[in-house]
Amino acid sequence: MPKGFFTDTTVCIGCKACEVACKQWNQLPDDGMFFSGMSYDNSVALGADTWRHVSFVEKQSEAQFSWLMLSDVCKHCQRAGCLEACPTGAIIRTEFDTVFVQPDVCNGCGYCVVSCPFGVIDRQQEDGRAWKCTLCYDRLKDNMEPACAKACPTDSIIFGEVAELREKAKARVEQLHERGVTEAYLYGDSAESQPGTEGLNAFFLLVDKPEVYNLPPDPVAPAKKVGQSWAALAVASLGILAAAAGAVISGRKFHA
Amino acid sequence: MTDPTYYDKPVIKPPVWIWSVPAYFYAGGVGGAAMVLAFAAQILAESRLREFEERCRWIGAVGGGIGTAFLIHDLGRKERFLLMLRVFRPTSPMSVGSWVLAAATPLSAGSALLTFAHGAFLRWAGQAAGIASGILGLPLATYTAVLISNTAVPVWQQSRRILPLLFGASSMAGLASILDLMKLRDHERHVSRYFGTVGRVAELVAGAVMEREVAQVPRVARSLNEGVAGALWTAAKVATASSLVISLLPNQSRGKRIAAGVLGTVGALCLRFAVFQAGRASSQDPRATFHQQRAGLNP
Repeated sequence: MPKGFFTDTTVCIGCKACEVACKQWNQLPDDGMFFSGMSYDNSVALGADTWRHVSFVEKQSEAQFSWLMLSDVCKHCQRAGCLEACPTGAIIRTEFDTVFVQPDVCNGCGYCVVSCPFGVIDRQQEDGRAWKCTLCYDRLKDNMEPACAKACPTDSIIFGEVAELREKAKARVEQLHERGVTEAYLYGDSAESQPGTEGLNAFFLLVDKPEVYNLPPDPVAPAKKVGQSWAALAVASLGILAAAAGAVISGRKFHA
Repeated sequence: MTDPTYYDKPVIKPPVWIWSVPAYFYAGGVGGAAMVLAFAAQILAESRLREFEERCRWIGAVGGGIGTAFLIHDLGRKERFLLMLRVFRPTSPMSVGSWVLAAATPLSAGSALLTFAHGAFLRWAGQAAGIASGILGLPLATYTAVLISNTAVPVWQQSRRILPLLFGASSMAGLASILDLMKLRDHERHVSRYFGTVGRVAELVAGAVMEREVAQVPRVARSLNEGVAGALWTAAKVATASSLVISLLPNQSRGKRIAAGVLGTVGALCLRFAVFQAGRASSQDPRATFHQQRAGLNP
């Protein structure tokens, strides 16, 4: 049964319990003790050591100030750019339909890093391997929910079966629309709404443009369009072959 | 706020690759082109280019060998380099390319050693290896372009239809430039000049097409026009054009050939580093990603 997250940003209070729980459970190093100046966000982005990241978008309208908060995470895409790019087979799809990097296989080639359209996975500098959210693969095997969802005090992060999460999310959007929050919509909940990734196992409810939360508006798994490049390679190959043949034939004449 | 970003932070991660990766693009490309030229000589020259053929096979083997070392040097876990051959994954140009490189390099060396050996069987094996490495040399000269096109990096995605042609042409020009630096006989020089002229002209044309492709999204074009990448890109064009002009001057002296060879090598190297650096710059600009996707040019 596919497992995933539904992250409802409208009830996130920016407490960062998810970030802390993730670090603690997965024994991840700190992000460096510095002050970013970006509202209350000091972890800045997802990375090799940061598998949950709470972003703080400051909104200043005429009358009032408000925050948009979003706990970002690996999306566990149906078409995962990292998995398709991985040359060693280190990145696999698990029995929970999640995307997992096997640390004993990864050789740190770095191809997944540029293949992720969300900028999730990164190579750990000292360790040399690529790391990202495992959707708490170890906890799932013991029928436990992931650490971040467990720690979330407002149920902004809901863990469960993707099909059920989609139903919950749709109901939540309808509820918000009834209450007048007409800008609420789902990001990446299905293959129809996000064909480039064919849907995300970890999707979001947003109330502003994706760019505002640093999410790409139309992400695509790179391998979906690489066919055009292979076709160009075929043309280039024929060209090189023709030039080589032409050069040799003309040199042969020159010799004779 | 019509064009928002999140504190101007990048959406995607910049490449973690170091200098040795674009250096490999050059070395592997030159090696691949050499294997193809040797193959053409093997099939078509009626053994009038034996030494030239052998020379090209060695260039192929050395290019592939140095390139392999460059790639291993970049790995986060160097001792695990053999895991590149753990699976074959057609969706990953890096997996396809690893297999091509791992097969073509020893085949090229083997054919150089055996083609003119004593003994019919050894010669036959050498010729078979020559044919195989010649065919594998074609993707070896070009696949790195597919590899970088197959990423989320805006400038590489935007140029995915022209990059393989650009890299292929640059590989040809790079090989001819290496041959320019060597002492060749008259008819060998003729072959090299023919091959190099096609490569240098094609490199300049493909470069102009690439500029047009990326210009479709001004924010993406910026990464190729500005900063270090822009300077390298201009240097590549100037060096390649100069080497083309010098190589076509009448009365080819040794000095002119060396000048063309040095400029052509500089041009081919600058081109790979320019494309690489443009990718790094464009990955750090969130608006490059946003604008490209909003323009509907992504899929």
